[in-house]
Amino acid sequence: MKSTSQEYRELQHSIGMTVTLISFGMMFASLFLGYFLVRFNSPVWPPVEIAQLPKLLPLLSTVVIGLSSLTYYWFEMKKRSSKWLVLTLVLGLLFLGLQWSLWAKMKEVGILVSHGMVPSMVYAFSWLHAGHIVLGLFFLSWLLLRKMDQDLWVKNVGKFWHFLGIIWLMMYLMLFVQ
Amino acid sequence: MAFVEQHIHDAPTSFWSKYIVSYDHKVIGKQFLWFGIFWLLVGGLMALLIRWTLAYPGVPFPVIGNLLFPHTDGVVPPDTYAMLFTMHGTIMIFFAITPILIGAFGNFCIPLMIGARDMIFPTLNMLSFWFSMASGVLLLASLCLPLGAAAGGWTSYPTLSTNIGQPGLGQTLWLLSLFLFGVSSTMGAVNYITTVITLRAPGMGYFKMPLTIWGLWLTAILNAIFVPVLGAGLLLLTFDRVFGTTFFLAGAAATSGKGDPVLFQHVFWIFGHPEVYILILPAWGIVSDLLSFFARKPAFGYKMTALSLSAITVLSTVVYGHHMYTTQMSPLMTQSFMTLTMLISIPSAIFFANWLGTLWKGSIRFHSPMLFSLGVVFVFGLGGLTGLYLASTSIDLYLHDTYFVVGHFHYTMAASVLLGGFAGTYFWFPKMFGRMMNEKLAKWHFWCTMIPLNGIFTGMMVVGYGGMHRRLYNPFIYEFLQKLVPINIFITVCAVLMGAAQFIFIYNFVHTIFFKKEVAPANPWEVGTLEWEIPSPAPHYNFKDIPHVKCGPHELGNPNLKNGRDFQYQTEEWVKA
Repeated sequence: MKSTSQEYRELQHSIGMTVTLISFGMMFASLFLGYFLVRFNSPVWPPVEIAQLPKLLPLLSTVVIGLSSLTYYWFEMKKRSSKWLVLTLVLGLLFLGLQWSLWAKMKEVGILVSHGMVPSMVYAFSWLHAGHIVLGLFFLSWLLLRKMDQDLWVKNVGKFWHFLGIIWLMMYLMLFVQ
Repeated sequence: MAFVEQHIHDAPTSFWSKYIVSYDHKVIGKQFLWFGIFWLLVGGLMALLIRWTLAYPGVPFPVIGNLLFPHTDGVVPPDTYAMLFTMHGTIMIFFAITPILIGAFGNFCIPLMIGARDMIFPTLNMLSFWFSMASGVLLLASLCLPLGAAAGGWTSYPTLSTNIGQPGLGQTLWLLSLFLFGVSSTMGAVNYITTVITLRAPGMGYFKMPLTIWGLWLTAILNAIFVPVLGAGLLLLTFDRVFGTTFFLAGAAATSGKGDPVLFQHVFWIFGHPEVYILILPAWGIVSDLLSFFARKPAFGYKMTALSLSAITVLSTVVYGHHMYTTQMSPLMTQSFMTLTMLISIPSAIFFANWLGTLWKGSIRFHSPMLFSLGVVFVFGLGGLTGLYLASTSIDLYLHDTYFVVGHFHYTMAASVLLGGFAGTYFWFPKMFGRMMNEKLAKWHFWCTMIPLNGIFTGMMVVGYGGMHRRLYNPFIYEFLQKLVPINIFITVCAVLMGAAQFIFIYNFVHTIFFKKEVAPANPWEVGTLEWEIPSPAPHYNFKDIPHVKCGPHELGNPNLKNGRDFQYQTEEWVKA
């Protein structure tokens, strides 16, 4: 059983984490606002002058990051055994690898950052998201090494990780599904 | 809500852990205070350089001119002038006002006034200060670059801030520095919000909090929501400059592809308008409290003041378009933004009337914090009224980017916040450092600041109405502006006087901290909020026992009080008036 003071401490940290996520969310929301302003101001969407964006790689990375959220959920809810956490970490790394190959692929088919709004957005949004994924992976490893038995940290790192999954889903829908 | 035990940790003993990497909110507050005062001096010197150039174009800056600009015999060169007004704005907003009002008073006052032993996340708090320090170092470094620091105005609109408008590393360092600063203040904001929500002492309801805390808390909320928006804009602009994306590049600035420079203005002002309220809300809160404390009366309409501050917080998020009337916005949009902007005057008028109501028939004690608070009432009233002109689209089209705007935002943001900051500094100084500042010097400081200050900013409004545009190196090459030379000289003389007056403050501040022996009493101002029940300076653990709050913060001047005082502490049973 948890004591009242422990529960209260969890509540305090949960409020702190929520405020933090609102801040992160506003950062991404401003990117999306820019996206919508550009999209609704352009006569054709997607603009015709650029080459087709890769379809398969972003789909794969979306699946991978979705799976990693699921494995984290199992880690949190079910057993609290480290294998699920390790799996989450591996899937996170795989996601980063897929993003990397997405960038390589885009370069290969001749889509460069300087080729206008759409490539700029695809690159910049995925860079920023990947940057946060790196931060998330850092938290996950730290959890694995130090704090696995503490509810407080498990919950808060989980919130951050799921949040990144949701952000990527939105980016995927906006940039690649259209 | 349950209450959690807040432990008393051992006081740090070494110099390093006590003053450098301290987790103590009071020490972090003082660190921010020193940091802010340092930058205030740097920004003030820049202001004087700007003013000198406007009054005497082509004349060498006296005394230190030759040292600063050896290549031009002490004359401020045009490109340096652009750099100076950019850096003056950046430094004053982000490195002087924010650290002093939010960093210093936020850190120092929040735990003390809500009855907590420390902030909820002390490590985050310490990181917040060291992130600001790092961003300050980056900004200083950008001043030493061969091509100079950022010079596209504090708003850094593209294309002024793209690689075409600003070659060199200066602008990039500016972007990174502000991004780091944004991270730092967001850390602070998360801390403040959570602390106020969860660490209020038993009995301290939201409507028993001092208005200072209301101001700081609302500021923190705006900060947590809108500073990340600036972060996004800064990152995208950095990408444009460093990695070759084309978000804000158009026309000659874009080698290929096309972006939209106005997009940056949207992002910037979505952040920028809440930012002006981020800066002013703490000052409003402090003044609302101090007026009541020194008029020896309960704050008139306390609840309405708190609620109207909240209403302003909400409204401030939906008015940013009034900065962009001249960007070919559709008339429908300008009309909506105009209406929303005008709406802000309703809650503003409410709390302003409450201020006057607090003063009405009070037995006012004219101590230095009160003088500065009354100064805020005056300058904010003036500044706020001129805001109505600028909110109106049809007038703004003519006044846009003139010195009228400069005068307006200096009255509201700079003058009010500066005076509010001084009021707070004089007021909490005994609790911070355990000494009383010299009252006579403080009063001299007030009058020597207040009179030239009004000369400067009213003068700016007059020259703005006369058609003088901001950011011109030498406006007097235009014939119709030549008549404005004398009044520009008047403004500059006032600026020099006001700058000189700040040395009274510096002397008083430094002398009291380091050389004054006399210890301040625990409650020199006879005020009932929680921080005045503990010794001065506040001890390491703040409160030996967490206080139980029984009444509001402004219980002053009640004739039914039997305890021989004209006020009651917040921990005392409330006596009906």
